[in-house]
Amino acid sequence: MTGDAGCGPREWLAVDETAADFLSRSLSTRPPILLPPPLHRAPLRPGNVVEIAGPSNSGKSQLLLMAAVQCILPKEWEGVYFGGLGKAVMYIDLDCRFDVLRLAQILRKRITHGCGSAHPPSEDFEKDVSKDKFHSFQDTLFSDCMKRFLYVRCYNSSELIATLKSLNSQSEARSKVFGIGIYFLLLDSIGAFYWIDRAPQPTTESKGTTISFQSITENVVQEIRKFLQLQPVLVLVTKAPTYGEGITASNDFQRGSSKYMLDDSTASRYSKREEEKNSSCREYMPSAWQTLVTHRIKLQDLAQEAGFSSEQDNNVLSVHTSEWVHPPLNTKEKFYIKDDGVGFIQ
Amino acid sequence: MDQDRPRVETGRVLWSDGMDLLQDAAERKHLLPTGLEGIDTLLGGGLRKGQLTELTGQSSSGKTQACLYSAAHVAARHMGAVLYLDTSNSFSPSRIARILDELPISFIKEPKDVRLKRVMSSIICESVFDIFALFEVLNQLEVSLNNKVNNGGKKICLLIIDSISSLLAPIIGGKYSQGRSMMISVAMILKKLADKHNLSVLVTNHMVAGNGAPKPALGESWKAVPHIRLMISRDRGSNICTATILKHTLLASGRHMKFAVPG
Repeated sequence: MTGDAGCGPREWLAVDETAADFLSRSLSTRPPILLPPPLHRAPLRPGNVVEIAGPSNSGKSQLLLMAAVQCILPKEWEGVYFGGLGKAVMYIDLDCRFDVLRLAQILRKRITHGCGSAHPPSEDFEKDVSKDKFHSFQDTLFSDCMKRFLYVRCYNSSELIATLKSLNSQSEARSKVFGIGIYFLLLDSIGAFYWIDRAPQPTTESKGTTISFQSITENVVQEIRKFLQLQPVLVLVTKAPTYGEGITASNDFQRGSSKYMLDDSTASRYSKREEEKNSSCREYMPSAWQTLVTHRIKLQDLAQEAGFSSEQDNNVLSVHTSEWVHPPLNTKEKFYIKDDGVGFIQ
Repeated sequence: MDQDRPRVETGRVLWSDGMDLLQDAAERKHLLPTGLEGIDTLLGGGLRKGQLTELTGQSSSGKTQACLYSAAHVAARHMGAVLYLDTSNSFSPSRIARILDELPISFIKEPKDVRLKRVMSSIICESVFDIFALFEVLNQLEVSLNNKVNNGGKKICLLIIDSISSLLAPIIGGKYSQGRSMMISVAMILKKLADKHNLSVLVTNHMVAGNGAPKPALGESWKAVPHIRLMISRDRGSNICTATILKHTLLASGRHMKFAVPG
């Protein structure tokens, strides 16, 4: 720096690039991503971290699978338009409940749907040759897409941190082999080890330091940030709520006071239950995690909210709602889960 | 700063891609029939290896019967050994013998007593009365599965815990979080065993009174644990039970089917 003292200040003041250049560069290297509904309302770009929160059975993992399928499908394949992104996806499974058959089901239905709309089924079915070619075309596309889906399981926090540390080298190795980079990073259930990490454990370290949930989360956040700096990807994380230790206390309260509220209408009892649930499931992720997250969406299962009924019809589709918390959109949108993925109710 | 960092395990991180997973599912993760037609039809064939299935229901709704039927059928069809962890002394060898007697004729390829002996030797029954004994048994199981590469003896393919809620319910709740952490640790160990060693895990849960309708015990934190959750209910005074899907990785929840439990 001292060597450039003469021309230093002028160069330092010279313009690096104009705002127009910056915007066009940013838009070309990090283009906006259109995800299938209900995640399509907020503009998302690589480098964003989206947190999908909701109670059990509200459809969070289904949304992750829909996003994964959207990413691994190519934009176009031999003339058929699919509208996907054609890039690889890394799925880190902490809940260990991923079912590959469900992913295969959604992918196959999307491929068949895309092919069906492009090539309408011909009337004469004697053309076996073309039918075989049709099937092998679908199978090649299917296996190509499945190869772009990378999966790993972690059974405790140390495995998670080891996986995150190896993300960059893995993604580089894979892109050298396949020529396609990673575009999405999916994490199923960030709070999976919350109770295990929170309990005080006997440590083998000589100094007797305890590993706290806070420090583990800070490590996780640090590793994700490091990875995002080297390779900007869109991160989708699901989060299940944790009900605090005081849940028995609030249940007792409900039971005690309901004696005096026998004549209440169902509406007030419903809102009371929702209020109690909201107060007892508090935000348990430390502030380090909350600063990492850039977008938040909240999901709910309507059938569960109304109370469990065992007399359901076999064909009733369960309706779920989604609400963008950050950026706050103040609208609840409905969607349902069917065989070929998530269906959006306008 | 380094004191805060947790120790990173030196094992290698294994990534697999979608086609590897599909191949593994097709080759290793088969379905184990329970022997009760309604449940088998509902689940598309039976309990899947590599998954944790939960059966929840009120008392005497048929959960233990379903466990005994699964153990008997899996052992009778030469699918492998069964480890039955019993928390309330409900395992009944005479009931297993009666279940085997009900098997259709096509399955009978050997004399009855020979088959009974073979089935009984394939079902390993252990009594577990508290959570620490459960941890002990699961650790022993993991060690023996890790060491046994291709032993002549039968490999365990089904792990039944009847009922896991009687072990877990007393420790969760209350002020301290150790109970919940033990519950999630057990869940992680079961899922790891199921996936690595190709077991199917069947656990039963009881129901507690909730706001209005009874709900499954063990609370919200347990809801995220099993792959498949089924609810069984028995019509009063009859042998007809109804199984309802509460949660499934592939099928829609709410589907139900009736079946009869003889005897």
